[in-house]
Amino acid sequence: MSVPLRPSLGCGVGLRPRHYSYVFEQWPGVDWFEVISENFMVPGGRPLHNLTRIRERYPIVLHGVSLSIGSSDPLNLDYLAELRRLAERFEPAWISDHLCWTGTGGHNLHDLLPLPFTEETLRHVVERVQRVQDFLGRQIAMENVSSYLTFRHSTMPEWEFLSAVAEAADCGILLDVNNIYVSAVNHRFDPLDYLAALPPSRIWQFHLAGHSDHGDYLLDTHDHPVKDLVWDLYREAIRRFGPVSTLIEWDDNIPEFPELQAHADRARQLQENLDDVSQPGANAAPPVAADHRP
Amino acid sequence: MTFPNLEQTQRLLWRLITAPRGVADALREMRRRGDDADGALRDGLEAVVDGDVVLPAERRLDIYANMYFFRLLDALKEDYPAVGAVIGNDEFHNLITDYLLQHPPTHYSLRYAGQHLARFVRSHRLQQQVPFLGDLAAFEWALLEAFDAEDEKLLSAPTLTALPPGAWAELRLQPVASLQLLALEWEVPLTWNDVHEGRPPRQAPPQPTWVRVWRRDLRVFHRSIAADELALLRDATAGEPFAKLCEKIAENGDEDPVARMGALLHQWLAEGLLADREPT
Repeated sequence: MSVPLRPSLGCGVGLRPRHYSYVFEQWPGVDWFEVISENFMVPGGRPLHNLTRIRERYPIVLHGVSLSIGSSDPLNLDYLAELRRLAERFEPAWISDHLCWTGTGGHNLHDLLPLPFTEETLRHVVERVQRVQDFLGRQIAMENVSSYLTFRHSTMPEWEFLSAVAEAADCGILLDVNNIYVSAVNHRFDPLDYLAALPPSRIWQFHLAGHSDHGDYLLDTHDHPVKDLVWDLYREAIRRFGPVSTLIEWDDNIPEFPELQAHADRARQLQENLDDVSQPGANAAPPVAADHRP
Repeated sequence: MTFPNLEQTQRLLWRLITAPRGVADALREMRRRGDDADGALRDGLEAVVDGDVVLPAERRLDIYANMYFFRLLDALKEDYPAVGAVIGNDEFHNLITDYLLQHPPTHYSLRYAGQHLARFVRSHRLQQQVPFLGDLAAFEWALLEAFDAEDEKLLSAPTLTALPPGAWAELRLQPVASLQLLALEWEVPLTWNDVHEGRPPRQAPPQPTWVRVWRRDLRVFHRSIAADELALLRDATAGEPFAKLCEKIAENGDEDPVARMGALLHQWLAEGLLADREPT
């Protein structure tokens, strides 16, 4: 087990519009919120107003879905400028997006497509992560995606590719534990091999979410409670990487806020109850000072 | 075996995922035409995408194809609830299938995936069956545009009345950025209101309708207005000076152009239609 180099924000939840009224009435005791960056790349109105209120009381992380870091298209500088403006305004603890591609030929699939894990892709992605970090003036974290296909010409496993990107581009890793599990079932690998290969000092954050079982494959639907086997894998992850900031994602069939919060509480309990992660420094204060309890 | 490079791989996947009748059909059609996707398919799909007995390569791609379509369908259903309610789920599904073929998303945000739908609907077969559909789509898009338009400081009556008399002629009123002006052939706000309030949607009457949509603070409003008001707001947005707006009212044959302009100005201020900003 290692102590994470980036202080933990604790256990938070993804902020979704259906929970705004609850949050504004109750100001629940979750540690932090993650928000989808693109939902706030608008000129004004309610989305930005709501985020301003949230930010006054909670740390936030900007989590993007359209950086398309692995696309063969040029980086979208308009997108990056919007992201930088958003970051300047809301001062997130960090910015993350996915190790994937979302479009090509000027089109956007609005989905997180897997990459061929080749030396060509590695060079391409590393160079782009570096350019993005230069543009934003900060490091970013890259998240592993759930996938339903792999490429015949991949020359390395995903965990090796992810580690190589993080080390070569000097970026963080947002480790989605559910995505590892889903991909492990879909591509028949051992999720523990995945965890074992990752550089602990690069792990900035965990994601936890629910998935659906379609018989022949698992689908990362974010519409169910986190499955027990994913909790087990999470326990392994915190044993290995320490009490890293953890975030519960729920995007469809979204439950009432207390159920979501109970998931964050369970993650926190697992962190607290795992004896070998309670080392000095592992529960350092969040880097963004914001008292979210009224 | 030669493997496709990153760009070839991605372009091939994009084509297959966005194909309207599924991956298998797209592959059959490409084979029939001798189209190997710039060499990416030279050795067949199995040479690019891993597959197995449980889940062959085609089915793996189909998972992405379904997610692509249904994610966009869901997003557009949220953006166009009244269009969806009027034509029903099956026809909405068909409409969006056709729409995405013509207008696959290009913007990084899903928010703009439906930006061409109103124009598209007007040339779609459904417009023949539901002739107010294009107007309804335009109205729903205007609501969305107003929803997240720029926040602005509003012009107040005291600020305006403090202007020296000599400044009025050249005054350029600044309608707020959220203001959307619609000249419609059908009275679709009635249909939209039905859907909004949970009633079965009525057929919009064939009635020329001029509508302004705007946001005040965080609430979006709409109001049916007279044709001349719409024209004046368009002129003001285009930067025409106040004197010109008054002239236009007079040209329209209004019996008391001064009173008409005064009444409009009063209402625009009261409803938060004018921004307190310098003309650009």
